[in-house]
Amino acid sequence: MKSIFIKLLIALPVIYLALFAGLYSSVTDSRPVLSILDMMRSDSATKIIDFSSDEEKSSKPKPKPNKDRNPYYGDLHVHTKHSFDAYIFGVTATPNDAYRYAKGDGIMHPMGYEMKLQEPLDFYSVTDHGFFMGMLNAWSDTTTDISQKDFAKPFHDLNRVENLTSESAGPRSALFSTILGGTITQAYSDLNPNILKAWFTKNTQTALKSFDYEIHKSAWEDVARAANEHNDPGHFTTFIGYEFTTSTNIEGGNLHRNVIFNSSKAPIRPWTRIDSINPEDLWTWQDKLRNKGVDTVSIPHNPNGSNGQMFEMETFYSDPINREYAEKRMRNEPLVEVTQVKGTSETHPLLSPDDEWADFEIMDVRVGSRPPTFSRPSGGYVREAYLNGLTLEFTKQGNPYKFGLIGSSDTHTGAGAFDESNYWSKVGILDGDPENRGSAPLAQENIQRMDDYMRAFNQPRSTVSLEQGEYANTGFTQWGASGLAAVWAEENTRDSIFKAFKRKETFATTGTRIAVRFFAGYNLSNIDLNSEMLVSQAYQNGVTMGSDLVGDGDKAPEFIVWAQRDKNGAPLQRVQIIKGWSDGSGRGHEKVFDVVCSDGLQVDPLTNRCPDNGAKVNINDCSITKNVGSAELKASWVDPEFDNETKSFYYARVLENPTCRWSTWDAISRGFKPREDLHDTIQERAWSSPIWYIPPASDVDVVPLGGTVRMINLST
Amino acid sequence: MNADKDKSIFISDQEILSLISAWKSQVGRDPSNDELARIINNLVDEEILYREALLLGLDQEDTIIKRRLAQKISFLKEESILEIPSAKELNKYYENNKDKYFIESSFTFTHYYFSENNNSLERSQQALKALQENSTFKSDPFYLGKAFANEPFRNIESNFGIEFATNFINLAPQKWSKPIRSTYGHHIVYINSINPGYIPKIEDVLRQVEVDFLQMKREQAVKGFLNNIRSEYTIFINPDLKF
Repeated sequence: MKSIFIKLLIALPVIYLALFAGLYSSVTDSRPVLSILDMMRSDSATKIIDFSSDEEKSSKPKPKPNKDRNPYYGDLHVHTKHSFDAYIFGVTATPNDAYRYAKGDGIMHPMGYEMKLQEPLDFYSVTDHGFFMGMLNAWSDTTTDISQKDFAKPFHDLNRVENLTSESAGPRSALFSTILGGTITQAYSDLNPNILKAWFTKNTQTALKSFDYEIHKSAWEDVARAANEHNDPGHFTTFIGYEFTTSTNIEGGNLHRNVIFNSSKAPIRPWTRIDSINPEDLWTWQDKLRNKGVDTVSIPHNPNGSNGQMFEMETFYSDPINREYAEKRMRNEPLVEVTQVKGTSETHPLLSPDDEWADFEIMDVRVGSRPPTFSRPSGGYVREAYLNGLTLEFTKQGNPYKFGLIGSSDTHTGAGAFDESNYWSKVGILDGDPENRGSAPLAQENIQRMDDYMRAFNQPRSTVSLEQGEYANTGFTQWGASGLAAVWAEENTRDSIFKAFKRKETFATTGTRIAVRFFAGYNLSNIDLNSEMLVSQAYQNGVTMGSDLVGDGDKAPEFIVWAQRDKNGAPLQRVQIIKGWSDGSGRGHEKVFDVVCSDGLQVDPLTNRCPDNGAKVNINDCSITKNVGSAELKASWVDPEFDNETKSFYYARVLENPTCRWSTWDAISRGFKPREDLHDTIQERAWSSPIWYIPPASDVDVVPLGGTVRMINLST
Repeated sequence: MNADKDKSIFISDQEILSLISAWKSQVGRDPSNDELARIINNLVDEEILYREALLLGLDQEDTIIKRRLAQKISFLKEESILEIPSAKELNKYYENNKDKYFIESSFTFTHYYFSENNNSLERSQQALKALQENSTFKSDPFYLGKAFANEPFRNIESNFGIEFATNFINLAPQKWSKPIRSTYGHHIVYINSINPGYIPKIEDVLRQVEVDFLQMKREQAVKGFLNNIRSEYTIFINPDLKF
């Protein structure tokens, strides 16, 4: 008996040390080291809950599904009061308010005016930040237990200072930085039982003093409940979703993604940056959920502000990309958000110097950087990523960048601002009026306030002197009224739209409701463009956006593109096809072809450009030239430079006639001229997902290795 | 920080420690004595300004402060609603809100489209004539297709524009229409059938009624509170105000 006691006594420190080692491998770094110990743990992040049955709430007649598919427009990136930062921005809109807005109701901006859509949307997903979801509410509400803890005290102040309205912008921004800076991520001491519990349930966040799991779960439940309550099959679709808000450890490169669920089922809690900051771990989690019957897509956003780290040529831990990585990424991330309030990430003038339309709504700083810090363009724009994907494929590493395109807003007020003439930007009281967002000069008495605010924002220059006065220099001038996610789907249901996400039959717009169809195949030139059968024949004989077209001997693919204008927007100016390819050494190239021009004008075959259609904008009142531009543009096209052995991709870009930018509308509404250092006008646009051309298999591939060339015979 | 009626300000150890920890996470080191003094001074300044602002009644006249406080109490009231509604409650709610469940008319129709790029008015008039004479004609493919089944009126407006929708609603069924203009050109339309709008039975919309009922309860929690307390207030306004 005594010897057993002694043995136990000796064993105890060993057991503790083992647990301790396990903890440190898993709580602070989710790569498991001790696999035996790991078997003892349950995974709280893969426990599935059905937040509501998918049964229909009413039996009203549904429009008949269209086998040729309809375009549906939505927003997959919307924050409400459950997001830690939205709360700091003064936002009190609930997920329920957000869905009411999408269906056409007016809701209130934090500054007190109504936000309302000109036309309701077809689908919407509230995607609050997953980490610390719901927690800010709880800290500042002094009736909760958690608010009594020390770390929550500065947030009591928030309630007080927030009553100072616009003047509170400075302290608010400081709090925002503090949260990202990590005051709140203090863990309990190693001997605290919460640490063990966190480890046994693989739920690191519960090891943090500032975290209350019950409040977190109830915020997530509110997000899921609101989505399910508003889902109306055939008429309006919602998705349960959240934002995985992660970034690189060094340089602060934004690696944010929105995770969208396919049904009313979702895990009991979102997987967040506290579980892991590595997106590859997010994909592992998505794979696990998929095995349990819950499908998801994650959608990266703002690659433009990632300092070139969203589409790198190596993995998160700087290992070389391999096929397994490429397949895993594409399985979980079929789409990228190419445009939103914080700029457009199609391409950059430095990356595409020959594209006259590349300088479009460029945001040149890293997301959330204090002070604002330049974001490296290379690695942050989708066209280059497509090219780099071909290069990685050339070097046999697989292609992790074969994604489709959507747009969304990233609004933090529950309500996306898509209309240049009716714009409220996205961060509540920080940018809710023209003075604060820098489109109208500051009143004399507000200059000092702006200076204080920007100092708290850690920004060196608070204002800028221009012809008409002193303007806020807040960076909000680089933001804009964008964008929408659009899909081609048989009907407006979760199932039909989610399937479109998965097959990448999507397009992105800058907020306008342009529609674009895009097909490629080898027997498309027989199709009469004026036939009622055009679309069904194109589906039958070709592939559409998001697909691969496999080579067929030396045949050149034929493309059909068909765009329709937004009935509430400007008429169309031109449709372009953008081609990218990798040459014999794996190097990427790109070229922009105009393929159809408005008003019956013809493309110049030497320059591949349409002549000017003469559409103008009157900057004094934003009126546009009447009777110029087209309601629809349609063409078939064959690549004049096609080479059947070259891997390439093609996507369509549709351009409207120019219209006033939001900053011009703002200035006019305040009786000023537009700022001389901003674009007066923009060309609203849409981008299709690409079609990839895969050359016919050849016997021999050339792979450069360490400066020499080796021949591989694939048939052996 | 503790407020006192006389002019005393008490700062707790925890308050200072939490500020130091915020500083550390931002700057990456402990504050120096000077820096610590500045942090505490800022805190004191803020508290003094806050109290003086309250004394001057500056919180009274700010619309955004009012709105925020009003929202905060609304949330507190809303969050107390949890119970499951009874069938009787739901029935009563449905009876009182029947209009809300009105299912709008939907239309099954087909059309010929003539693009504005190509002389749409004249071609559509000729087409109508040809239809009546059973002769052939050429139309253009419409972007969203030719035949539509059970389309709610709202979708028609969204797909063709308001001018088209306004004319469409007055068309007689089972008959080719005169040319109607849309944003994209002209159309001649044949309505096969109309499902007239109707108010559904409660069984058909029960889940929706439940959802709406709970939402109403959440809103009522605020309204009920307001109604109870409203009688305690007297409201004066200037009857002669001109604007």
